[in-house]
Amino acid sequence: MTTPVALRDVTYAYGTGDLARPVLRDVDLSVAPGEVVLLTGPSGSGKTTLLTLIGALRALQTGSATVLGQELAGATERQRTALRRRIGFIFQQHNLLGFLTARQNVAMALELDPATNERDRLARAGEMLAAVGLAEKCESRPDQLSGGQRQRVAVARALAGQPGLILADEPTAALDKQSGGDVVRLLRDLARRRGVPILMVTHDPRILDIADRIVAMEDGRILPATEAEPASAP
Amino acid sequence: MNAIPRTAPAAEARLLPWAPELTGDAAAPAPPPPPSRGGSPLAGLWLPLRLAWRQLRAERARLASAIAGVLFACVLVFMQLGFRSALFDSATALLAAMRADIFLMHPLTTVSFKPEMLPRIRASQAMALPEVQAAVPVYLAQATWRNPESGTRRAVQLVGFDTESGVMDFPGLAPLVETLKRPDTIAFDRRSRPEFGDVTRLLAERGPFEVQVGNRQMEIAGLVEIGPSFGADGNIVMSEVNFRRVVKERLPSQVDLVAIKLRPGADREAAMARLRALLPADVMVMSQPELVAHERNYWETATPIGFIFAFGSLMGLVVGMVIVYQILFSDIASHLREYATLKAIGYSNGFLRRAVLSAALILAVFGFLPGLALSTLLYDVVGKGTFLPLEMDLSRALSVFAMIFTMCGVAGLLAMRKLRDANPADMF
Ligand SMILES: Nc1ncnc2c1ncn2[C@@H]1O[C@H](COP(=O)(O)OP(=O)(O)O)[C@@H](O)[C@H]1O
Ligand SMILES: [Mg+2]
Repeated sequence: MTTPVALRDVTYAYGTGDLARPVLRDVDLSVAPGEVVLLTGPSGSGKTTLLTLIGALRALQTGSATVLGQELAGATERQRTALRRRIGFIFQQHNLLGFLTARQNVAMALELDPATNERDRLARAGEMLAAVGLAEKCESRPDQLSGGQRQRVAVARALAGQPGLILADEPTAALDKQSGGDVVRLLRDLARRRGVPILMVTHDPRILDIADRIVAMEDGRILPATEAEPASAP
Repeated sequence: MNAIPRTAPAAEARLLPWAPELTGDAAAPAPPPPPSRGGSPLAGLWLPLRLAWRQLRAERARLASAIAGVLFACVLVFMQLGFRSALFDSATALLAAMRADIFLMHPLTTVSFKPEMLPRIRASQAMALPEVQAAVPVYLAQATWRNPESGTRRAVQLVGFDTESGVMDFPGLAPLVETLKRPDTIAFDRRSRPEFGDVTRLLAERGPFEVQVGNRQMEIAGLVEIGPSFGADGNIVMSEVNFRRVVKERLPSQVDLVAIKLRPGADREAAMARLRALLPADVMVMSQPELVAHERNYWETATPIGFIFAFGSLMGLVVGMVIVYQILFSDIASHLREYATLKAIGYSNGFLRRAVLSAALILAVFGFLPGLALSTLLYDVVGKGTFLPLEMDLSRALSVFAMIFTMCGVAGLLAMRKLRDANPADMF
């Protein structure tokens, strides 16, 4: 079985020529099937950049990265778009479409698959919302939901497309501690049951316990594993 | 390495199935085939269209102003095209009302209100053909008309020809033929502009009455229907003899047109060809549609009228395009995060471009329909006010729709460039 994420010697710099500023240096990282990996580190250490590279949102510069079987070095825009469909993204902001209901937002992740029909999509979106505890809020618009509820809709959207990998960048940053903790545990549980690996950037010490493994970054490098210990459940 | 269940346990059957192939596991079993009833081939067009509609619908004020912009352009183009064709139609109203099989005209005549004259003898020569039943000379001139109500004077178009011959007919003329034989009688065009006096009402009230045409008192015997044209605001039809009584200086040997009636069953094309062979080069042989087209061609090509209206239409389309572009552009700009999110979760640029183009085309349809209704109404109101023959017809509606559709499409293509600013890498 191949590893969902395997990075080797990934180096990345913003800017070109004299202005080039490396933010990732020789990063090696792999995520095993079903594994929940948390990425921590000080601000500016390159965590978000790493996540955008793995999520095929940016083109790889040097090194090699295989994500869900797709080699990203030299991948075309079309290949990267196709790969993104197989990844569930959860952003800092919920980024739901304001003019769609919760159910329609979740269904957007399913419309990418041409083999589905509208009724199945809406039914699946409804099941997904029920799974995140929002069965009653299917027809609400994002502005009628609380922050935690919106982020749970985002979780439902990320999981609805049956992704092979979940990428999340500080999903609790915009939430209070209670609802932030609830959302990531919900995400972890749902992903676990489906065997989907999660790679999550977080600063939030309260959620470190959900991890199978914690990876720490500093100044564009991944620190040796001994310095990062999985926290035990509180 | 974690063990991954290949099939969901029965207890979790109601959960969404996890698809092992999505993790890149080559050994994973093939997924069940998708249900065949799903996935219409049109989904690639329908889904972006629906997304565009939902987005437009969410902001009523913006939608309303966009529709108003398209509607404005639509009405402007309809009015410009309507006026253009009404002016051309009315420019040729007199010739269009003359109903005869074949006409002879001098080849140097460019427009009927300043005709080159041709010799009257050509009418007799045309009679040499067996298929010609009758050929009558037609005289055209202008004279002053005194309004029977207010006494003001105005130029009126006179048409004189042998009304008894039955060669040339005007709508409404047939029942007046006997009366028009009498000296100093005329038939008045009921669609003349109101400045000529409300002859229709006067005639109904008092019966035939006298008016001053040129220097003569002439009796209005009845009404025909012609319509005002560029050259003349009003028309009167009379016999050749009466025409000469009004226009004394006119030589009878010089005529402006010759109208020809063919024997029943005669082939008009063949007769025209034979007339061309028979007659000298100082006549042009034309059917009535050709005569009207010749006149119209003068107004379209020898005057700036066509250009003026084409320019007006273009301006309407440009203004409409700018409005639609602005609306679509600000719509994209204020939804950049959402568009970037869609790109991040795997929507292609093509899908988003189709959504923007769909929004443009929705605006085209929603602006055009009320625009068509409003223009039809305006045609009616303005047509009554100006005596111009403004009428909505299918071909004009279709061509304006094509223009509006193109206008919105171009605006959509321009606005689409803003989508490049939606960068999914900025989402994290
Ligand atoms: N789009 C960008 N262009 C230029 N520099 C960037 C861009 N995004 C991030 N950076 C820089 O790269 C470094 C790493 O940023 P980031 O990956 O966001 O780190 P983190 O998520 O760990 O805070 C920072 O110094 C940041 O200023
Ligand atoms: Mg960051």
